Amino acid sequence: MRDWRRGRADRNLWQALSDGYVMVFSIVVIGAMLVSSILQAQETAAVCDTDGCVAARGLLPWASVAGVLAFTLVVSRLFGPVAASAAEGFWLMDGPTDRRRILAGRLFGAIGAAGALGAAAGALIAALTGSGPVEIGIWALAGGLGAAGLIAFAAAEQGLDRHWIVTGVQWLIGAAAIGTMVLLVSGAAGWMDLGRLTLLAVELALIIAGVGLLLVVAAGFLAYRRLRNIKRQRLTSGGSLISGLQGAAFALEFALIRDILVEAKARQRGHVRPTRGLGHGTTALVMRDVQRLWRQPLPLVTLVATIVVPYAVQALGLAMLNPPISALVLLAALVPFMNSLRVLTRTKGLQRCFPFDPGQLRTAAMIVPAVLALLWTVGAFPAFLGVAGGVATDPVSAASAALVTGVAGLLGAVRWVSAKPADYSGPIVSTGVGAMPPGLMFSLLRGIDMVALITLPIVFNWPAWISLIIALIAFSLLRSGIDRDSLMDQQAEQKRMLEEERARRSGAPAAGKQKIQVQRKR
Amino acid sequence: MAGVAKKDVVLQVDNLKKSYGPVTIVENFSMKVHAGEAVALTGRNGAGKSTVLRCLVGADRPDEGTVTVNGTKVTETNPEIRRAVATVIDDLDFFPDLSVVEHLDLLARAHGLHEPDALVDEVLEEVQLVPQAGQLPSTLSSGQRRRLALATAFVRPRQLLVLDEPEQRLDVEGVAWLGERLKAELDGGLAIVLASHEPALLQAIGARELRLEGAR
Repeated sequence: MRDWRRGRADRNLWQALSDGYVMVFSIVVIGAMLVSSILQAQETAAVCDTDGCVAARGLLPWASVAGVLAFTLVVSRLFGPVAASAAEGFWLMDGPTDRRRILAGRLFGAIGAAGALGAAAGALIAALTGSGPVEIGIWALAGGLGAAGLIAFAAAEQGLDRHWIVTGVQWLIGAAAIGTMVLLVSGAAGWMDLGRLTLLAVELALIIAGVGLLLVVAAGFLAYRRLRNIKRQRLTSGGSLISGLQGAAFALEFALIRDILVEAKARQRGHVRPTRGLGHGTTALVMRDVQRLWRQPLPLVTLVATIVVPYAVQALGLAMLNPPISALVLLAALVPFMNSLRVLTRTKGLQRCFPFDPGQLRTAAMIVPAVLALLWTVGAFPAFLGVAGGVATDPVSAASAALVTGVAGLLGAVRWVSAKPADYSGPIVSTGVGAMPPGLMFSLLRGIDMVALITLPIVFNWPAWISLIIALIAFSLLRSGIDRDSLMDQQAEQKRMLEEERARRSGAPAAGKQKIQVQRKR
Repeated sequence: MAGVAKKDVVLQVDNLKKSYGPVTIVENFSMKVHAGEAVALTGRNGAGKSTVLRCLVGADRPDEGTVTVNGTKVTETNPEIRRAVATVIDDLDFFPDLSVVEHLDLLARAHGLHEPDALVDEVLEEVQLVPQAGQLPSTLSSGQRRRLALATAFVRPRQLLVLDEPEQRLDVEGVAWLGERLKAELDGGLAIVLASHEPALLQAIGARELRLEGAR
């Protein structure tokens, strides 16, 4: 297959890069911005020189790398980690082919990719927290080898068609990440003396790297040996998920990517114990969202865990950036509660079944997430007061900052979930990477734009009411669902009515009165 | 279905025109559908049946002409229209995390039915989805999804039913059941507009046939 593909390649790597000069240019620009951000963060971190702040800074890479490792396991469980396309499953795996020969490259590729991405993430986190070059290298090693080792371990378990150990490890690492964040806040607030704990940071990174290396070798060997045992269904389900996600990713449709993952999860679950609804009218929709909380409590646990973020950010001395950073985290945590809103806004078919106008429907679907955002805001309020270290502020300013953060997170999530995809039926712009609709690049910023718009006045030290007015305008736009298509429709309708009125006044005959071609009664 | 006497005009279409770019799909299309009457749009593939149905429910905006339901101009977002028109066309979506029976329960409650259990059970039995009551929509076969789509139309109050090839993906027994069900709906005073390629179904409900000739 490889020979077949190479024989038909019509471009070399350099030509492909030349064609994609816009992408290369973008990568260079984004890279420069990233380096500049790292340098700025290092300057900010250098200002944070109290014992508590330094302790908190030392713990941040622990929590972040644990988060990266937990995420690695989530991704590996989703896709396999070893996957095959439906075509390979149908054409190759039915025949007398050696499955290990087909899959070995894929296994090593997955381990290598996880290693590279984990190393990049580890290095980035260490750099952003003001670490020196040696520490950055050690955390890169920990992130890279840790992620690669976990992928090898997950692949070895895939060969036995066993899930529970990987799931257990994933939960353990996730709990470690959250626990470390809590430690970080407690240390920074002075509630707990971290003592020599932070001095172990580099040693711990070396331990993670060592365990990761061991897993890469041992679990990698086991995974290679078990490649022949992986069931075809497990290989192809991951493959079809990847191909579905690729399509959505090329269109930068992140909400669609989530839809595909939610569908895959629903297919995996298959069946639920039905519960009787409550209330009637729009209340029925709201109560169904409440019942969803019982059915799927995990997002609730995640939301509660994210309350630690504003405390941690404040403790690190980044008070000014706390509203946008925490609002982005809240945005991500609120999206799983917006399944109703997502389905009711992505196609009009189901929306049409309900006897309400779109504004009423959207409002009903926003109520539960809004209540959760409010509770989160109340929980995060002491962070903005500075009770957990960092800059202390007066109650009114802290309440304003917390409220703006909560509202920005909520409206950002609403925008992320309900924004229309790029319109491919309109004008297309010619670029170096091919033709693309003008709205495509904005897909990347969906939701983030709302957070930036609402929290920037706070960042610039402007009065909080400016943020709240912007939020009010944003809410009314998001609630009504006014978009470019609706506006164009309204404009077209008004134009049509105007023309009809003109025709009526000038006495011109109305449009044709002809009946359709054939009518017959059975 | 209260408030509409038989022979009242439920749906009125006047001089409907719809084009996509330079291609006119349907032009000068007019019709009236009374309560208790079924109208079937027929014609070859691409004749414009689905386009007309989409204009009737407001999913597409006609270039010319008007569509009214009970005298109210059809706009897709008007709650009055949404209350009166039950639709099964190709754009129906489902909540991925709600089971079959929960979809029906939610719709019935949203339409103001306080104790919808009996009605939901009855419809569920009729569409033969009782064993799948707790299943999530993504695990249903295409035929079962079609039955669920039809069930969503029968579990709520309605004055006009708009169906696009409702026989699609139904087995022979399913088509026979659908014919009987639609006949009963007509007897109860419902107005029906459907597009169909199934003569047996149209015969079973005694539909008035309008043949569309297609794009120009």
